[in-house]
Amino acid sequence: MRLAILLLAALLVACTAPQPPVAVSDVEITKPMPGMHMSAGFLTITNRTDETLRITSVDSPQFESVEIHETTVTDGISRMRELDELLVPANGSATLERGGKHLMLMRPRNLEDSVTLQFYSGGSPVLSVEFSFSSQDKTNEG
Amino acid sequence: MSLRNLIIAVALAIALAAGAFVAIRMQAPTAPVTALVLPTPNPVPEFSLLNQQGEAVDQRVFEGQWDLVFFGFTHCPDVCPTTLQVLAAAKKSLADSGRETLPRIVLVSVDPERDTPELLGKYVDYFGQGNLGLTGTLEEIRKLTGGLGIFFEKRPGDDENYNVDHSAAVLVIDPNGGFHSLFSGPHVADNYVHDLPLIMGGK
Repeated sequence: MRLAILLLAALLVACTAPQPPVAVSDVEITKPMPGMHMSAGFLTITNRTDETLRITSVDSPQFESVEIHETTVTDGISRMRELDELLVPANGSATLERGGKHLMLMRPRNLEDSVTLQFYSGGSPVLSVEFSFSSQDKTNEG
Repeated sequence: MSLRNLIIAVALAIALAAGAFVAIRMQAPTAPVTALVLPTPNPVPEFSLLNQQGEAVDQRVFEGQWDLVFFGFTHCPDVCPTTLQVLAAAKKSLADSGRETLPRIVLVSVDPERDTPELLGKYVDYFGQGNLGLTGTLEEIRKLTGGLGIFFEKRPGDDENYNVDHSAAVLVIDPNGGFHSLFSGPHVADNYVHDLPLIMGGK
């Protein structure tokens, strides 16, 4: 009986393996188009901590410069601006998507099939993730 | 006619009328839903620009086919490719449904400093064959945009890294070179697939 309880406890622990406090999902980053030196990155950052996460910079070995930008369309005019930081609410997420916030990846160097992004909060590294470039055929995106 | 037959006849007549009413309601809609159609087409103003082959073209480049015209720039990573993808997807969907009258997709650069005909050509070709890119001097671009009510403004930035604010609308130019209608966005392929056949007519 005691053994059974221990086994059950071990099983429960195994099933509740801790999730990472910060995670990135739904990534869409395409290689720069022919002749272009830039691309946009779209993704979702999930913050499972109890504190707001402030992403203040992002860098990548594959791009000389990465900035956080936001596109807005007001009164029919499309504008793009650099953001100082991206706030990810406690136990929440922030989505970078077409027509909204996005990563602006500039001046690629030695591009192969994947891209690594490093996220920082006030100079401290938060997360480093590697993704494959997305397929470029996204003609059904609304 | 007996009373019974009369009742049957009246019931049949009501059923026929109801059927006809439903049939009319279910017919293909006849008016664009998303596009704003001008009361009368407005001739495109005179201009002189370069196409992506570097050849000089003027306002007559808009004659002979329906055009979907977007104003943007190649160093725009988000709105411009997304809009051109939507237009390309709508055109493909219309072609797949068997339509022969298809629009040409046109990108007019609002960033002639960086958008050479060659670069613009690579960019528009990326979104499909037969697309047109126009660039040239700022003065000539302003002749075209000014006459069509399109706004753009270069934002301050360092040498290579600046943005251009610009109108997000897509204009429809008719085969006579007249500004016919516009889609003000957000741009969704299904809206174009619905409205364009009604705007362009033909098969």
